[in-house]
Amino acid sequence: MNSLTLLQVAWVALRVNLLRSILTMLGIIIGVAAVIIMLALGAGARYDVDQQIKSLGGNVFVVFARGRFMGGAREASGSSQGLTEMDAQAIEQQISEVNVAAPTLRASGQLIYGNLNWAPEIHGVDNKIYTAQSWELAEGRSFSDTELASAGRVAVIGQTVKRELFGAADALGQTVRVNKMPVTVIGVLKGKGQNTQGNDQDDLIFMPLDTVRKRIAGMTLSSPKAVRSIIVQVTDERDMSIVEQQLDSLLRQRLRITDNQSGFSIRNLAEMVETRSQTMQIFNGLLAAVASVSLLVGGIGIMNIMLVSVTERTREIGLRMAVGAEPRIILKQFLVEAVLLCAMGGLIGLTLAVAVSLGLEHFAGFTAIIQPQVVVMSLGFSCLIGVFFGYYPATKAARMQPIEALRFE
Amino acid sequence: MSHTVVETKALEKDYRMGGQHLRALKDISIRIAEGDFVAVMGPSGSGKSTFMNMIGCLDAPSRGQILLQGAALTQLSAAALAKVRNKYIGFVFQQFNLLPRTSALDNVLLPLLYNNTPRDEAKARAQACLQLVGLGDRLDHQPSQLSGGQQQRVAIARALVNDPALILADEPTGALDTETGLEVMQLLQQLHQQGKTIVLVTHESDIAAFASRQLLFKDGNLVSDRSSIPHSAAAELALLRQQRIKEVAE
Repeated sequence: MNSLTLLQVAWVALRVNLLRSILTMLGIIIGVAAVIIMLALGAGARYDVDQQIKSLGGNVFVVFARGRFMGGAREASGSSQGLTEMDAQAIEQQISEVNVAAPTLRASGQLIYGNLNWAPEIHGVDNKIYTAQSWELAEGRSFSDTELASAGRVAVIGQTVKRELFGAADALGQTVRVNKMPVTVIGVLKGKGQNTQGNDQDDLIFMPLDTVRKRIAGMTLSSPKAVRSIIVQVTDERDMSIVEQQLDSLLRQRLRITDNQSGFSIRNLAEMVETRSQTMQIFNGLLAAVASVSLLVGGIGIMNIMLVSVTERTREIGLRMAVGAEPRIILKQFLVEAVLLCAMGGLIGLTLAVAVSLGLEHFAGFTAIIQPQVVVMSLGFSCLIGVFFGYYPATKAARMQPIEALRFE
Repeated sequence: MSHTVVETKALEKDYRMGGQHLRALKDISIRIAEGDFVAVMGPSGSGKSTFMNMIGCLDAPSRGQILLQGAALTQLSAAALAKVRNKYIGFVFQQFNLLPRTSALDNVLLPLLYNNTPRDEAKARAQACLQLVGLGDRLDHQPSQLSGGQQQRVAIARALVNDPALILADEPTGALDTETGLEVMQLLQQLHQQGKTIVLVTHESDIAAFASRQLLFKDGNLVSDRSSIPHSAAAELALLRQQRIKEVAE
């Protein structure tokens, strides 16, 4: 009996008991679907984190100015001896592994346009920010040198700000008020969307450093060129630890810090995101493990039904033996039935998983990625379950004595 | 003397039931020749079914020998016996034993699946056999769509499909009414006339009378072996139908 005939015979046997076959498959269907969905969500979360790291730049440090202890009392952050634009220049020029060092300032304020208002993050930047944080312009232009040098009243706005204030209308050339000061919109950034923490990355506007420093923050800064932070992009990700050491020693020297009370801190944002995402990965792994237990339970269901089926079809087995089926072929037939059940269950489970993943993506905003190796693995595994749990019932069938089987009532 | 299909030599079979030994067959030596139509008779427990299982290679003897087409059957593995059954023996059972929800054609095809007959040839042979038993127009019918007599004819077609040396019919009329029982016997007689060797197991003497040789078993012994001129199933069927018509007319 060739394998095609075996497959046909098994197919007919399953079709004859259609409802029972489907119910038996249900265990495998749910198991396979659960495993694939969990792994897809895990892979999706991983992808989100990677995307965020990419958008932050996996090769980016942020240097913050921090208050120092002065005779036991901590000064307010950024209040004295802070970082300046010159520090950013120095980092860029003196550390060869650094691609770009972008100085930034942050302020808050109210934007007013017509009768609408909005309160985004206001970032004082120069044009290096585009490289350092991978921003791109959707329309308009970045700051000119004159605007940067003379505290020009211009702004580049994020997608969220544009939507809230202008809607579908053109934002370029419009004048908005930032804390009562009129500012012209010269550019709109391309959207980045939410980060993994659910924060809107597009809810911000860029203005020249000097504009923010002098006209908005009105901060009593110790230096006329003071900044809050410097975003440092390293050319090659492998040089991150070298650059971190060099940044530390360079800034200590420039800020004349001799003790351990450092006036700045260096943070690797990608690393922070990575740490936070690890918890999520463990959780996802756990869920996938629970799902695979359900696959195992499905396998036991297959064995159960196959045993019932063997008993119920004792006369059929007797007849097949009487007309010439060798025990080996009876064994194969029931094994093929079990594997076919599991394989079809696996396929249906896979289809279900694809549908659920698409649904989760569209309606719940998850990222779900079904990796090809997961598909192959889960289908292979369900076939293996068929062999494993089908073997005992098949052996039971093959060991029957034809006369006893024929007489079975 | 014609060719021997099956021969038993001092055949014995013991069963162990609840610690007791039961000798189901005692010293049976029989020769069945090609073209014989043998009825094996006896009350239940006489050993007739055990005898049929032995010559049908469904069970192994405790002692003695069975020669099928001249070859000894003792000490064959389960797999080897399955091959022998497939090649040399066609079974017809009291309860038909057709696969449910499977077409008549596929039921008849079953023995051919186990000897790797090419699909087209197998189909042609199964069709021919169904035509031979008068069911050429019911190839696609499932057992549940066929009457008892038709189901038994499908079973006979299945027994014929490998052109076996021996057809073993175990109470083939047991589950049928008199008329359809006669129809089945008529079919078996036709097959016999075409040269088939048939062994029929029955406890009804008027069914056994359609065979040309009667073996009578009692308590595991063969008590008589005689040849007779067989009754004609066709004639009895005609008579029965005439009576029916008369009854209706009255």
